[in-house]
Amino acid sequence: MDLGLKDKVALVTGAGSQIGFGKAIALTLAREGCDVVVNDINIEGAEQTAAEVRALGRKALAIKADIRNKDEVDNMVKTALKEFGRIDILVNNAGAPGIGPPTSEEVWDINVNINFKGTWYVTNAVIPHMRERRSGKIVNFSSSVARSGTGGLYAAAKEAVIGLTKSWARELGPLGINVNGIAPGMGDTGFQIAAKATPEQKQRFISTVPMRRLTTPQDIANTVAFLVSDVSSDITGQTIQVDGGDYMF
Amino acid sequence: MDLGLKDKVALVTGAGSQIGFGKAIALTLAREGCDVICNDIDIEGAEQTAAEVRALGRRAIAIKADVTKSAEVNDMVKKALEEFGKIDILVNNAGHAFARGPFVEQKEEDWDKDINLNLKGAMICAKAVLPNMLERKSGKIINISSGAAKRGGPFVEAYGAAKSGVGGFTKSLALAIATQGINVNCIAPAIAITNFVGGKLTPGVQRMIDEIPQKRATTPQDVANMVAFLASDVSAHVTGQMFSVDGGSTTTT
Repeated sequence: MDLGLKDKVALVTGAGSQIGFGKAIALTLAREGCDVVVNDINIEGAEQTAAEVRALGRKALAIKADIRNKDEVDNMVKTALKEFGRIDILVNNAGAPGIGPPTSEEVWDINVNINFKGTWYVTNAVIPHMRERRSGKIVNFSSSVARSGTGGLYAAAKEAVIGLTKSWARELGPLGINVNGIAPGMGDTGFQIAAKATPEQKQRFISTVPMRRLTTPQDIANTVAFLVSDVSSDITGQTIQVDGGDYMF
Repeated sequence: MDLGLKDKVALVTGAGSQIGFGKAIALTLAREGCDVICNDIDIEGAEQTAAEVRALGRRAIAIKADVTKSAEVNDMVKKALEEFGKIDILVNNAGHAFARGPFVEQKEEDWDKDINLNLKGAMICAKAVLPNMLERKSGKIINISSGAAKRGGPFVEAYGAAKSGVGGFTKSLALAIATQGINVNCIAPAIAITNFVGGKLTPGVQRMIDEIPQKRATTPQDVANMVAFLASDVSAHVTGQMFSVDGGSTTTT
């Protein structure tokens, strides 16, 4: 199926990790014909991902920006627009779990600022441009744990992203801008390293997933490619579970 | 993106209407390389859809069967397996709302028709096709539910209930066979200009469209694109879900 993504420009946040969702998203979109702005706070990682996008024959630009910092985000979007002239696709992939007691304000700040406020900053920076062109695709990242509430403040922040997705979808729907979300199951990504999941914990989790496996970055990237294409143009405001059936509603 | 659907065999129920979801689904899957069994009670329509599948270079047969009748469905599946040797994809698309208008004025026999066609029909077809899928540990079942299942369906209450039932059936079956290599999902479209509304953009339909954030009706192609995605292994990790393809009408779950 031709997804019609040739020569589209995508901004993918958090695409520096070499084992994360962001890199798989960047490369999958590149294979579909997109140029990619590769963001991360880890610029070496972002450069590596950008190099692999270029190896696929598409243009890429790595930009260091901390999505918790409005100035850095605004500068990133400005630089991207200067380089590519437009942003067709925004993938708010950057996220991280703040591990610790849910009563700690520090843990609250990490979870809320990266996962929720960071998504808000980046999207706010890109929306004026999409509004002007009356065209655009935004994909936000929630999490399967947001649905089940099994992830403390991280789950709460990721649930908040679902609300943001719906509100933006209603606001931007008449302008032809689609806003959707993905709620992935547990992946073998930096998230687990951050959460210090033991192999036993991982196995226990897998045994509860109907499909008995973790979510892969490619699983996520495939759904992103579908959602940022016009073949799914009637879909907006949805947060889609890509989690092996972990959560159904 | 290569959906990897080349040489897959799909059975699409209710593919006879020339303005419905089923035909768009059949043709979209054919463009992706599938052979298609076009089912309908309207055999002329099914034949027409099958002819258009063949024009795309894929094999197709039209089979008349009422999905509410097990015997007819079993015969259909037997014939399909004789012809194609396997069924990789089942799309339970056949559906309609018979009981309409003020609830207290609806006829009980129309409720029976609604439940039998929309809910039991999907179950009958899944039951008939599953042995072949289970044997090969591979398959995709895609049920067509409705926005009425999520938002409610005033004046088509039995239809709404049946389509909610399709959502529940989807989850339960998905869980039961999740480790068997079979994905079960469903799609909940918004209002579309199909036979469901007499194929006409009436003032009532226009009012429904006005309430959709994107301000347009769902098209058969919208639904067909989602079916193609769910029928493909690119969505292999997605199961038991209901997908709203509705221009943002349902942003509540």
